[in-house]
Amino acid sequence: MKLRAVGTLYRHELRSSLRERTIVINGILIPIFMYPLLLWGMFTAITFVEGLNEGFTSRLAITGQLPAMHTAMRDSLHALDGVEVLTEIEGDLDAALARGELDAIVALAPLPESPVPGNFRVELIHDRTETRSTNARDRVEALVERYRAGWLAELGRDLGLDAADQQIFTVRTENISSARDVTQQLLGMMLSIFLIIMVAIGCFLPAIDTTAGERERSTWETLMTVGVDRGSIVMAKYLHVATLGILAGALNVIALMVSIGSVLRPLLVDSDLTLDVALSPLAALVMIAAAVILALTFAAAMMVVASFARSFKDGQAMVTPIFYLVFLPILLGGEATDASLSTNSALVPLLNVSMMIRDAIRGIYIWDAIAITAAVSLALVTLLLLLARRVLAFEEFLTGSFDGSFWRFARERLFARG
Amino acid sequence: MMTHLHTPAVAVHDLRKSFFDEERGEVTAVDGISFEALPGEVFGLLGANGAGKTTTLRMLSTVLTPSSGSATVMGHDVVKEGERVRRNLGFHSASTALYPRLTARETLEFFARINGYPEERLNARVDQLVDRFAIREYEHGRIEKLSSGMKQKVSIARTIAHDPPVLIFDEPTVGLDVMNAIEMVKVVNELKAEGKAILYSSHIMSEVEKLCDRIGILHRGRLLALGTLDELREATGEHYLEDIFVTYVTERAGTADAVPGIFGEPGTPPAS
Repeated sequence: MKLRAVGTLYRHELRSSLRERTIVINGILIPIFMYPLLLWGMFTAITFVEGLNEGFTSRLAITGQLPAMHTAMRDSLHALDGVEVLTEIEGDLDAALARGELDAIVALAPLPESPVPGNFRVELIHDRTETRSTNARDRVEALVERYRAGWLAELGRDLGLDAADQQIFTVRTENISSARDVTQQLLGMMLSIFLIIMVAIGCFLPAIDTTAGERERSTWETLMTVGVDRGSIVMAKYLHVATLGILAGALNVIALMVSIGSVLRPLLVDSDLTLDVALSPLAALVMIAAAVILALTFAAAMMVVASFARSFKDGQAMVTPIFYLVFLPILLGGEATDASLSTNSALVPLLNVSMMIRDAIRGIYIWDAIAITAAVSLALVTLLLLLARRVLAFEEFLTGSFDGSFWRFARERLFARG
Repeated sequence: MMTHLHTPAVAVHDLRKSFFDEERGEVTAVDGISFEALPGEVFGLLGANGAGKTTTLRMLSTVLTPSSGSATVMGHDVVKEGERVRRNLGFHSASTALYPRLTARETLEFFARINGYPEERLNARVDQLVDRFAIREYEHGRIEKLSSGMKQKVSIARTIAHDPPVLIFDEPTVGLDVMNAIEMVKVVNELKAEGKAILYSSHIMSEVEKLCDRIGILHRGRLLALGTLDELREATGEHYLEDIFVTYVTERAGTADAVPGIFGEPGTPPAS
């Protein structure tokens, strides 16, 4: 293998890939703009739906009577903003509710047997499948809650009790985690998943483009007749795919940090959640190492499989299962969000990297497990590259035989007798 | 590169290539052929589709490995010295397309550089090619945007970008319009005049007649005849190459050794 040739081929591959619109969109633009757009879209949608709900007028039917001392509550119901009390509904109210002519039925019933004077019950009949109906229920429920609180406060005052005494038993909570802890937990959950997915996305199209795409464009043979050894060609292609995977991962991490700081934090000003986006240099280093490990693994696996494809479309169909396999360790890791990387979990490829990222963000570094993770990943990459080298040694592969089937190749060549 | 005019640039001896096919079993695509090509000579391989022309040329360009026999390009063995063979070779065929996302100039730079053309003379070489093939007007245009005629020019220019002593043109005029095909023939003649050894495969008789100094007739993997056009005329009694070809393929296939003065039996060295 010659470094100069690898360098020339690498630049050539990279230049070609960065001029392909789909690769730039998937490997650069999506990782950068995914989070800001997702967050913006999410909050816009929530605000829009809330605004829409608030704009609805809740149509109520009130049945029954309240004790005389509570006529104020009935008046409040009639005067409630966004509520219209319907009085001229004919026939069965439940049927009207089912038909959508009503949003809720408020059934009032005095409780004369109750030891509390003037006690009553409010029954709210609504349709949970209808947003308008749920909204009407919430509005009435909130009004009744407010009225009850006011009534209790008045009773308490009559008994000489202040607001705190009226509560009797109180619960006070205190969160000892800092804003940074909260952010780290959030980042740990998101990054360990998204970094893996983004690196895989970053490798996906370049791996197909540089193998199956090359065959489809009839440039395979052009490249195979240039004056360099085949090892240099494979290495340049491999490094170029891995570079684009690392680029997608790195851009995604930066975009997430910026999004949390610039987009999410301002949106949370009214909530009690405070975020502090800061990543230690060591954590950043571990994450970069993780992105490199992931990219090297995905690039090798995807290239080996895509090499058999006769066209770009074939390549996409063949590499997609690898893409789904990526989700398996993520799902496994997701079951144990609080668990740290151990010497046992470090033996499972991808799951180990996912947990390593999560730990690093939380400031946890279990070095012997990290060393095992690196060794396992390196072994996997070496195995895949050895397979790629073995595959390339067969000339039928270069001329696009085996009908684009890895299994046919395995049957005829890898497992053939003699 | 300086080459002695009588030293073969390409030497093929008893070259054979068999493939394994799951349905057909062992298939012999090239069955023990031998020939030589000299510097400044256009050597034509004439044959119908499936005759073994492309397989032969792919073995010479090291894309395929021979099952047996030997071949050298500028003295380098195609099996043991693949990289050196490729550096001395420009290979042009229907299956060697250009990179669509590169510009014409980038294409020439890439192929000159990757084939080891000296870096300090690379720009001058690319400029020379751009002028020679009249590419200047669209040198910064992407290949995917060029017309087929423009692509053809860039493709030939990239084949000779590293100034190799041996050139292989496998069915180079397939799919070209008349004007581009004529241009192609003109370029091959110019390259021959520059002293390049050229292997030219085609099934278009008129092209082979015009261009080739010597012609090898290939049929079902076997070289049925080899000689100059005049030698082939004399041996068959036919004037037109088309008739000569038909004579060999239909009447004398398998008995080419019976034709006096013509090398034809697989495994026999070429007539000098």
